[in-house]
Amino acid sequence: MANMKKAGLRPVFLNLLQIRLPHGGVLSIVHRVTGVLLVLAIPLFIYLLQLLNSGTDGFSQALALLHGLPGKIFLSLTVWVLIQHSLSGIRHLMMDMGISYDKNIARKTADTVFALGLLMVIVTGVAIWL
Amino acid sequence: MIRFSIYRFNPDKDSKPYMQDYQLDESRLEGRKMLLDAILLLKEQDESLSFRRSCREGVCGSDAMNINGSNGLACITPLSSLKQPINLNPLPGMPVIRDLIVDMESFYRQYRTIKPWLMNDEPEPEIERLQSDEERKKLDGLYECILCGCCSTACPSFWWNPGKYLGPAALLQSYRFLVDSRDKATNERLDELEDPFRLFRCHSIMNCVEVCPRDLNPALAIHNIRKMLLKRAT
Repeated sequence: MANMKKAGLRPVFLNLLQIRLPHGGVLSIVHRVTGVLLVLAIPLFIYLLQLLNSGTDGFSQALALLHGLPGKIFLSLTVWVLIQHSLSGIRHLMMDMGISYDKNIARKTADTVFALGLLMVIVTGVAIWL
Repeated sequence: MIRFSIYRFNPDKDSKPYMQDYQLDESRLEGRKMLLDAILLLKEQDESLSFRRSCREGVCGSDAMNINGSNGLACITPLSSLKQPINLNPLPGMPVIRDLIVDMESFYRQYRTIKPWLMNDEPEPEIERLQSDEERKKLDGLYECILCGCCSTACPSFWWNPGKYLGPAALLQSYRFLVDSRDKATNERLDELEDPFRLFRCHSIMNCVEVCPRDLNPALAIHNIRKMLLKRAT
């Protein structure tokens, strides 16, 4: 009993700011965060869709929203979240198939996912902002 | 001077852990190159500094610790590979007994549950149970594990589900017995693993592979166990 009491007082080192995560680990966290963000974006998109379908006034209102600065920022972020989540999801599926279980290859595929995500956002960003 | 920042906790004196800075004159190393050599010299400066070590050549696994954010064995980590100040912390997620010494009980308990021994009910043959070269080769990359705990304590799934998820070390060993041609309890072992937590909490982030001081691949072993389960179900 005395031992159990003492064991309960033992501290645990789990400072996530000091523990180094490999690229695949960071990607896994980003995958989860982007997944949650996508779910949170659904109501906003449903609202937009409903606005677009509500007649001429609603349509122009929705377009104005999307062409405004907050709308553009929201759209760019959502596009990045969607692309990033899809790409890291594909990588997860690849790993489920047994591809890239080598340490170096796993690092490279994780980096590739980040790089591809950014590249695709820049390309879509041009369409949104210009 | 080599600079260190080391996690300190003495249950008899401290209510919470703190980091303590140390400095070591490089000349005192006298050509020795490994982190453990330096920590042993620090212990001469401050004998209250506590850590485990034994073989000092990467075979016993006692001096596993978190070195500059990554788990590893102090005895085979060259000082020249480390940025200063060298941050030394105990293995993450484990209860700290004192300074860099952690309680490994939960780790060993998980290891015990996979029954790390050969199970075979068939009548004993007159000679040893022989294996072909191919059968023996299947154990390569599995039997070399020294149970240092670097992989499991680097795994977020092991941190968040300590009693439930077996962790990479135990699963690597589980696979070692699953593929052993002399073991006949494959089905029984797979039954034990078919559970949302024990095996399937692995999300293949490969922390275990990144930190393994023996260059083993627990993530691949876990993937292979999943394949065995899939094959059995189809």
